[in-house]
Amino acid sequence: MITCNLYFFKLMKQATYYVNGKKHAVVVGEHELLSDVIRNKIGLTGTKEGCSQGSCGACTVLVNNEAVLSCITPALRYDGANITTIEGVATAEGLHRLQEKFVEKGAVQCGFCTPGMVITALDFIKHNPNPSVDEIKMALSGNLCRCTGYKKIIEAVSEYVKESQPNNHNQPVAAIPLPETKQRSVGVGRPYIEAAKKVQGIADYADDYQIKDALHVKFLRSIYPHAKIDQIDTEAASRVEGVRYIATGKELPVTFGVLPISQDETAMAIEKTRYVGEIVAAVAADSEEIAEAACKLIKVKYTPIKEFLTISDSINDIGPNEKIHEYGKFNNNIHKKAELRFGDQQQGLKDADVVSKMSFGFEGINHGFTEPHAASAYWDENGLTIITATQVTHYLQRALAKTMEVPLSRVRVIKPYVGGGFGGKGDPFPHEIIISHIARKTRKPVKVCLTREEVFLTNHGRHPSKMTISLGADNDGFLKVLDADIAIDGGAYGSFGVVTSYYNGVLLQAPYKLDNFGFKTIRVYTNKPQCGAMRGHGAVNSRFAVESLIDDIAHRINMDPVALRMKNFLDSNTLTVGHYRITSNGSRESIQKVAEQSGWEDKHGKLEYGHGLGVGCGFFISGSALPIIWNELPQSTVHLKVDFDGRVLVTSGANDIGQGSDTMLAIIVAEVLGISMDNIFVIGADTLLTPVDLGSYSSRVTFMAGNAAKNAAENLKTEIAEAISKKKEIPANELNFSDDRIFSHDKLVDLSWMEAIDILTANRGAVSVSGKYISPKLGGDFKGSGAGLSPSYSFGACVAEVNVNIKTGHVKLLNVWGAHDCGKALNPLAVEGQLEGSWHMGIGQAMSEEMRYYNGLLVNNNFLDYKIPTSLDTPDIHTNIIETIDPEGPFGAKECGEGALHPVIPAIANAIYDAVGIRITNLPIKSEDVLELIKNKTPTLKGATI
Amino acid sequence: MTAEKTYIKPATVTEALRIANEHSNDFCYVAGGTDILVNKYQGNKECSCLIDITGLAELKTISIAGDQLKIGALVRLDELKKHEVIAIKFPALLIAAQEVASPMLRKTATIGGNILCENRCSFYNQSEWWREAIGYCLKCDGDVCIATGGKKACFSKFVSDTAPVLISAGAMIELQDIDGVKIIPLETIYTGDGVKPRNIPDTAILTNIILPLNHDFNIVFKKLRPREAVDFTSLTTAVSLNEKGDIKIVIGGVDPKPVVVEGTAKGIPEDYIKKALAKSRVVDNDFYSRKYRREMMRLFLEQSFEELLK
Repeated sequence: MITCNLYFFKLMKQATYYVNGKKHAVVVGEHELLSDVIRNKIGLTGTKEGCSQGSCGACTVLVNNEAVLSCITPALRYDGANITTIEGVATAEGLHRLQEKFVEKGAVQCGFCTPGMVITALDFIKHNPNPSVDEIKMALSGNLCRCTGYKKIIEAVSEYVKESQPNNHNQPVAAIPLPETKQRSVGVGRPYIEAAKKVQGIADYADDYQIKDALHVKFLRSIYPHAKIDQIDTEAASRVEGVRYIATGKELPVTFGVLPISQDETAMAIEKTRYVGEIVAAVAADSEEIAEAACKLIKVKYTPIKEFLTISDSINDIGPNEKIHEYGKFNNNIHKKAELRFGDQQQGLKDADVVSKMSFGFEGINHGFTEPHAASAYWDENGLTIITATQVTHYLQRALAKTMEVPLSRVRVIKPYVGGGFGGKGDPFPHEIIISHIARKTRKPVKVCLTREEVFLTNHGRHPSKMTISLGADNDGFLKVLDADIAIDGGAYGSFGVVTSYYNGVLLQAPYKLDNFGFKTIRVYTNKPQCGAMRGHGAVNSRFAVESLIDDIAHRINMDPVALRMKNFLDSNTLTVGHYRITSNGSRESIQKVAEQSGWEDKHGKLEYGHGLGVGCGFFISGSALPIIWNELPQSTVHLKVDFDGRVLVTSGANDIGQGSDTMLAIIVAEVLGISMDNIFVIGADTLLTPVDLGSYSSRVTFMAGNAAKNAAENLKTEIAEAISKKKEIPANELNFSDDRIFSHDKLVDLSWMEAIDILTANRGAVSVSGKYISPKLGGDFKGSGAGLSPSYSFGACVAEVNVNIKTGHVKLLNVWGAHDCGKALNPLAVEGQLEGSWHMGIGQAMSEEMRYYNGLLVNNNFLDYKIPTSLDTPDIHTNIIETIDPEGPFGAKECGEGALHPVIPAIANAIYDAVGIRITNLPIKSEDVLELIKNKTPTLKGATI
Repeated sequence: MTAEKTYIKPATVTEALRIANEHSNDFCYVAGGTDILVNKYQGNKECSCLIDITGLAELKTISIAGDQLKIGALVRLDELKKHEVIAIKFPALLIAAQEVASPMLRKTATIGGNILCENRCSFYNQSEWWREAIGYCLKCDGDVCIATGGKKACFSKFVSDTAPVLISAGAMIELQDIDGVKIIPLETIYTGDGVKPRNIPDTAILTNIILPLNHDFNIVFKKLRPREAVDFTSLTTAVSLNEKGDIKIVIGGVDPKPVVVEGTAKGIPEDYIKKALAKSRVVDNDFYSRKYRREMMRLFLEQSFEELLK
């Protein structure tokens, strides 16, 4: 059955390629693919590989001036051809105008899809120089983007096209327009500081690092969901020429996990495997191909044991069978029970005039970041260095120190450019630990890049969940009680699951006033890839349920769903029933904005059958107030260094994964110091160079790292002011910092930035300062009170418009109007990008995305079968930023990267109710379910009343 | 162990055929490769000799000979629209071609390749590791069909979108092999066996697709798929009506081969629909359930008849 094309059977040929005008004579394998040749032989790593099967478009290059998907093109087909990669698009004069447009419009976020998008668009425009917007959407429909929701990409291409028309007399602007006269940094929309690098394909992502003499690792993965490992025979594999090391689980016995209370995973399965796809052995070899071939020669003897694949399998007593983990005193596979109650839910339900109670089901979903996990590790006199696609350098440093059994000071984690995370790069991962181990054993650098299938198996995505929720209100529409009974399917390991368990419940206590509120969540282990944190962590599914129930109650008491919500919103500066401190709160402004913009009053309940409008709201934490690992470090520390050259170096452990946090830090520092962005340089997320920041999770970076940067910049400002004060004999508080100058009120002292820096550094040299953020003490004095505590919360609302085909059940999403209270948009262009990306991801979960399993085996483990919406499946998105100026956020800012996702999914479902009168209780919304519900429509379905 | 990997790019059909016959047991022809190379990546298609036929210029033309339209098998899907005669005589073919995969794939994928596209199944189009984990199915040398929970037949879906339109318009194909040229009706190459869905000799090259120009066809094309781009079909229907009142229903995505039902405008559509449903062996090997695809098949056909016979 297993055929094995060992490398020594492979012939090679010499081939010549003229890439970006330069001749490359390379030796190519007979069946080698063009993407491999371009990336690994020619070294032009701007061409990305996201799926290896032509489903994502990231690998697009021009061959003889025509676009080609290089990952499914035999390299020898184009021996002698002219190839243009993304690196060849810009010229000595600068970026191509289309690249400039991508930069200028904020079409570049993580940047991983960008090279393919740019090449695809250029090719398309060449053939169709004056396309309509719909034609542009069509042209880009084979290029997946997970960050932008395509909106800004389509805008960039449209604007480029418009400006390129022969009758366009507006001279193209040569450079990106900069803020006008009075120099401001905060509140001015600007591209990411690294956008030009990304749009040219010269930003290095984890797999782009070519480390000399590196070994390549491939994994052997379990084919059983739950099985004892009786024997691993590596003999034949080890004899393959080019194999340098084979590692098995016993060599890495130390457990790890992102949460201190869930250290339940080892890098490879040791005694038994807990899911299909768990790593059982790792082969390091001279090439990926050799490692892969050798993996196939490893023989593992398993004894399968009873597997548990569903919530109901795992929640019950398991009889004589073996538990997935020993953990827990009961004979079941329950991992965590979380329960909190405030007020009296039973009484509340009795007292309510109207109660809506429904049960909901949600499939698991995956982050779908376009860049697969990849990493390189090596050891030298400084200990371990790992360059890896991570969003939590700090926690990875800890996990590596623990599993490698070395002091923290011997671990350096470097985050390169990262092609999206969305929570999916937020745990320490087995592959990172394994390559570190093999690098130590072999004393060679070791490299790994997961296939897309492996990325799906690694998962850590949103938990499949089931829940029954009761919501009661009085006849005036005031919500009185909420009781939620939730079960979530955690898969084989803990990951962030304890937090997820709480978030499913606690994050229902806002944005509405509720006196009687309670929930119980049970998280179970199952024999499937583990679930963890994903954008909107924990509360997306339960938010969907509650917003559906509210819609139901509104219909039953004949009240407009917008009006009902307006009655119930919490105020600003108040406490929730569970003691969350709400400060700024833009709920009302958000819902009013989307209601007004969508024409809600004229349309809701008034459109023809099949056409409807729905609304949903949401809120989210702006950073967890408590660190994952309890200690007294600040949540964020930022260092600034300024030297004689006037440049301010910002170092921060915050992980920019495409959301723009490096740019955010630069903006804040520039604003405080009144200097231009050109004077600022950011180094992010390198645990040797940068001070600790806990990482990019819980939407904490703008608030926490932003505040730390602001604090640091203020400290530097004080240092500068004091130096000038002393030198010029003027009170420090009379000095102003603006427009690259430092001047007194009367302008008698008026220094350029460089003059000021000369004074600062005289007889002292470079000056370094530090800033920090520590969350205030918050919350109640009860067990579980820490869950969901945040120094600030974001709020938002969405209205969706749908057409439902009543014959096919197909739902066409026409429009999404969204508004999100981000406190203050430090960089409005970036904020819009975050919001649009959030809504797009929510649309995916609503309409098409699910992880489908068959006997514990993930069926749709690729970008063809896992249905991320393409540009053609994405509706028109109307973006609104609501600013409420948070009292504690940096310049009033709070999160915008996750919370926006919450309202969009229920808005879609509620729109379907408005269109055809059916209540969606399962995600994704499948045409066949919609059709069935339409056919079986009965009064009870209009809300499944009790 | 397999033989040495080789890659050969012949310039003529004759040369390609010669090479194929030299590597008779272990080669495959690659045109655009958008299907074959993905299957190769997943280990579904193992062959040591790749014969890249994209250099065969003779297969890239579209021409009219008498009352026949000849479409070279290597004409790429996105090039079809450049030919006015297709737009005039067979607009449904352009629609079908446009609904295949994504714009970028259509720039590489050829019409011949689309017709010969390998059958698909959720349990087959997977990596080798995955198929080992699930227990190999019939289509990869296993004993039973997994999608049906153990049947002894393979129900992998026929997924070409252009073939149903072509068959509905009475397309013939020209096959060239070492022993000469054969012209046969397109629909006769599909076996209905999901394991080996086509009966043409491995060495034969599909050279041309021949469409009759002496008929006037009205063809309604419909496709069901989860997303508006990229996805393979879950159900494709093409229903043709010619000037003589002949009706031909061709359905893809619901059986290992295109399901064909013929009739006339005088017949009762419902009878044809029932016949089509009865002939379709739909199983749960797709994004959509078997039940829903059957339901949509009926709907698509009803709608197609409405559009054709109004």
